[in-house]
Amino acid sequence: MKTYSTGGSEFVAVDNVSFDVREGEFVALLGPSGCGKSTILNMVAGLLPRSGGRILIDADGVEVGKVNPRVGYVFQRDTLFPWRTVEQNIGYGLEIAGVSKPERTERVAEAIGKAGLEGFGRSFPRMLSGGMRQRVALMRTLILAPEILLMDEPFGALDTHTKLEMHKTLLEIWERERQTVLFVTHDLGEALTLASRIILLSARPGRLKDDFEVSFPRPRDPVSLRETAEFGRLYSHIWHSLGEEFRRTKAD
Amino acid sequence: MSTRRAAILFWQIAILIIVLVVWQWGFEWSKALLPKAYVPKILDPYFVAKPSLIWQSFLRLGCFSDPAGVVACIGATDNNLWTATLVTLKNTWWGFLLGALSGIAAGVVLGRSDFLARVFGPYIIALNSIPRIALVPLVILIFGLGDLSKIATAWLVVFFVVFFNTFEGTRAVDRDQIAAARLMGANELTVLRTVVVPSALAWVFASLLPAVSFALVGVIVGEFIGAERGLGKLIIEAEARANASEMMVAIFIMMFVGILLALAVQSLQSYLLRWQPQFEPTP
Repeated sequence: MKTYSTGGSEFVAVDNVSFDVREGEFVALLGPSGCGKSTILNMVAGLLPRSGGRILIDADGVEVGKVNPRVGYVFQRDTLFPWRTVEQNIGYGLEIAGVSKPERTERVAEAIGKAGLEGFGRSFPRMLSGGMRQRVALMRTLILAPEILLMDEPFGALDTHTKLEMHKTLLEIWERERQTVLFVTHDLGEALTLASRIILLSARPGRLKDDFEVSFPRPRDPVSLRETAEFGRLYSHIWHSLGEEFRRTKAD
Repeated sequence: MSTRRAAILFWQIAILIIVLVVWQWGFEWSKALLPKAYVPKILDPYFVAKPSLIWQSFLRLGCFSDPAGVVACIGATDNNLWTATLVTLKNTWWGFLLGALSGIAAGVVLGRSDFLARVFGPYIIALNSIPRIALVPLVILIFGLGDLSKIATAWLVVFFVVFFNTFEGTRAVDRDQIAAARLMGANELTVLRTVVVPSALAWVFASLLPAVSFALVGVIVGEFIGAERGLGKLIIEAEARANASEMMVAIFIMMFVGILLALAVQSLQSYLLRWQPQFEPTP
């Protein structure tokens, strides 16, 4: 149970956005570029100060610069440490938490298996493809077992095929572990594939525009789901709403 | 490809042989063939010695000429080739190491603190503008004729080079990588150790290779101006006796010392930066 109330001032990036995310919910934050969806995410993570409003995780307010160990964050940009191998990258959080080496090795091996990265444990990130790097980034966050997962367009830089592969991996993991996810994207197909709820933001200044339940049955398959009539209907419905915002962005 | 490599090797060896031959016999040949006014002074063995003389001086100075009494020969003089080399190498290494470590430490601290960087910025620029060699007599006055003054000179030369590179490298660290580390629970010190330093290391190493040569220059200049032992001292002594071949021996040894130190830094670099494409171990 989380409550977000965010108000902006001066240069208004995000204005009066207020929503709740329930425990175990997969919420996609959808909107045209520049609508402040990443800003919201960064404020939730405590990376950015807010100019007004409140962000609560359970009953606790988010403080800037104070890391909440229950929250995991996956960046849009590649933030792997290039000087660490895949294993060392995934094990980073455990290492600084002081987890013993044998336990770390075991958990890292398990994570590598989950992400389908077997055989690449000792490779350095630059030897991997963009998709594999993002898998490493995902596992680096997930290995710390965060209850809340914040994802900022994590697959935005990937090609369509790799993106679908990543959706599959993420769905498998989420359907098993049911973290609370706040997933920022501007890709409607992606939001529909993954999320159980889509929050639509307007063009700048970002305001809450709409809120859709996405009730496709799970487990979902990212490819065949897109072929269902239900998917198509919801897609065009939201697209209509989203299209207005894209046009407004262009008109600026 | 292999023919190309063979051609490169061929020319490398050819150039070496040509240089050695001209050096050895060029002066005599040109004296025999050319009018006196056209004989190049630069080839005169009085000034530049010649390979055979240098080799003889090397054997004598290095106590190789009488195998029976090597130990006695080494013990006979205070500043024989062996001790001189060892002393210069040792002082260069310590000066380099201390200079590099303190340069890295200062660079990281100032690179991470905007306040300190602003406070110390003008002083560092002012100090860096002093030609380091101008300080050598002062350093010798303070630290004496022994090893300490040579180490201090090398330190002076190395510190600023490494400092500036580390400073820039620390500033260039990816902010998102730092944010990612923080979000995974790293505190300021852990961020420093696990993100800032490894990330800045590429910049640091870019300065270490020139720095190790600078350290050698610093030590040699220190030995020129005032020393009891060392290769620089050997050169000064040989100069007093107008002995070009002994000077050449010392110069060649310095060349090897320089190569040795550069190789040591390079191998450390290619290990620590093996995550970077240019240092990828060739399969």
